[in-house]
Amino acid sequence: MKRKDLILHLVGEISSFLLDEDPRRLVISLHQEENGLHLCFLDENTHTEEELSRIEQKLNSRKRPELAGYYGSMTGHDMLGASRLNLLGWQVKHCDVSSIGSGIKIDIWLGGDDFQNDQFTIPKNGDE
Amino acid sequence: MKENVIENQNKTLLFLLVFIMFSIIVTGIAADGAGRAFNGFLELQFRPARLISDYISERGIGASLINAAAVGMTGLILILIAKVQLSGPTFAALFTMMGFALFGKTPMNILPIILGVFLAGRLVGKSFSEYLIIALFGTALGPLVSMVTVEMGLSGLSAVVVGTGAGIATGFMLPAIAVSVLHFHQGYSLYNLGLSCGFFALFAAAFFRAGGHVFEGLMMWHTSDSAVLILLVPVLSVVLILTGLFSEGKEGLRSFVAVQKHTGRLPSDFMDLESVGGSLINAGLIGLAGSAYILIIGGDFNGPTIGGLLTIIGFGAFGTHLKNSWPVVAGVIVASLIFGKSLTSQGVLLAVIFCTTLAPLAGAFGIITGLAAGFIHLVLVHQTGSWQGGMNLYNNGFAGGLTATLIVSVIAWYRSRNSGFK
Repeated sequence: MKRKDLILHLVGEISSFLLDEDPRRLVISLHQEENGLHLCFLDENTHTEEELSRIEQKLNSRKRPELAGYYGSMTGHDMLGASRLNLLGWQVKHCDVSSIGSGIKIDIWLGGDDFQNDQFTIPKNGDE
Repeated sequence: MKENVIENQNKTLLFLLVFIMFSIIVTGIAADGAGRAFNGFLELQFRPARLISDYISERGIGASLINAAAVGMTGLILILIAKVQLSGPTFAALFTMMGFALFGKTPMNILPIILGVFLAGRLVGKSFSEYLIIALFGTALGPLVSMVTVEMGLSGLSAVVVGTGAGIATGFMLPAIAVSVLHFHQGYSLYNLGLSCGFFALFAAAFFRAGGHVFEGLMMWHTSDSAVLILLVPVLSVVLILTGLFSEGKEGLRSFVAVQKHTGRLPSDFMDLESVGGSLINAGLIGLAGSAYILIIGGDFNGPTIGGLLTIIGFGAFGTHLKNSWPVVAGVIVASLIFGKSLTSQGVLLAVIFCTTLAPLAGAFGIITGLAAGFIHLVLVHQTGSWQGGMNLYNNGFAGGLTATLIVSVIAWYRSRNSGFK
C-alpha cells in the first residue's frame, strides 16, 4: 500500500472514532520523515481516564501481522458500524493518548524498524 | 507480564490442539484398524473432492479422521513456521481445515494453494505471516487441484504436475481477491475466503466449461448411524468447555458472558478481546448446540455435517456465539419450512450449520436483520454450488458473503439519507 493510502485510511478510522462523539473541533496534524511519520489528533470533547486508558490499550495492542496484513485492509475503509481502533493498533509503531484541557490528544507514530518515534513530536499543549 | 500470559495461552492452545489431533488419529485407528485407515487415507489423496464428496462414505471413518488430523497438522506446522501466535483466527482456521478434510481437503490438494499464496506474498514484499490466514482458509479450493489431477483425463506424473500448477496459480490469486471482497460485506460475513474462493471458482468453472469440461454432480453422503460419528463432536465440545473452565475458572465464565456482547464482525478475536478460556467455553457450547440440533431433527452425522460442526466450533473463537447466531439459524429454518424443504435434507442441514457466517449481521443490526439474512441465505445457497462447479468447498461462505453484501449495501445506502445539516 502506498504511504498516501495508508495515511488516508488511518486518518479515516481514527477520525471516525472521534467524530462518533460529535466534537465541534477536530484538528489533524501530519509530520512526515523519510522512514516514518507522526499523526496527531486533537478534539475538545471530555473523556474519562478510563476511556483514555481503553483507547491507549487498543492503539497499543500487540502486533498481529496475520491480522494486520489481511483484515488491516479494512482500516478507514469500511465505516458501517463502530470504528475499530485495534485495526490501527496492529499496524502502528507507537501511540500516546493524553488529556489536554477540555479535549483529547492522540499521537500515532508509524515507521520502519529504524524509525525512532521519540525523535519528533509536537508540543504537548497542542498549540502548534 | 502480559507477554507471559500470552505465552502461556499459546502453550495451552498448542497442547490442546495437538491433543485433539492425536485423539482424532487414535479414534480413526480404533474405528477401522490401522491398515484400512492408513490405506484409505492414501487413496483419498487421489480421489475427486468436489462438493459433496463425503470421505466417510468413500473410504470410511478411519481414513477420514486420519486425513482430518493430517490436514490440521499441516496447518499447525505452517502456523508454527510463520511464528504466529495461536489465537482466535488460527484456532478457527485449524478447525475449519480439519472439518473440511472430512469432505474435500487433503494434504495433497491444499499444499499447492498454500505455496501459491506464499509466492504472491513474496511478489509484493509481504511476509508469509501476513498472508497466513488467507493461505489456511484458501485451501477451500483444494477440489480444484483434485479435479485437474484426477478428473481431466491426465495420468501419472503429468496429472500431478498440472494439478499442482493449477493449485499454485489459484493460491497466487487469492490474496488480491480476499482483500478486495472483504470490502463487499465490510466484515459482516465471517467466511470471507468462502466469498473469495467462490468468486475465483466462478471464473475457473467458466474456463473449464469453455474448454468443454462437463461438471458431473457428485453426491456422496454417508447415512448410516455410528456411535463414533454421533459422539465425536459432543465429546470434543465437552473437552473444550472443561479446558476453558479448568484453565480460568470463574474468569472463564465471566469472559464467556462477555463474548456474547460482541457483534462478531471480522476480525473479532474473542481470545484476544476476552480470554482463551471464555472462547473455549463458547466454542464448546456452540458444538453441543449444533450436535443437539442434528440429533433432534434426526439429521445425519457424517463428513459434511461433522465438518460443519467443527467449523462453527472454530469460529466460536472468532466471531460466532450463541447470541448472534440464533436469529440467522432461525431465518434458515423459517425459509426451509416456507419453501417446503425438509430440515434433514443435505442442503438445508448444511445451511443451518454454516449460515452462522452471517452471525455478525444479527450481532450488529439486530434480530430482524439476522432472520432476513438467514432467510435469503437458504434461497441463495441452493444455487451457488452449481455456479462454481462444486470446486469451492465453502459454498455456504460464498452464498453468505453475497447475502451479507446485499444487506450491507442496503443498510449503508439507507444510512446515507440524512447528513444532519439543517
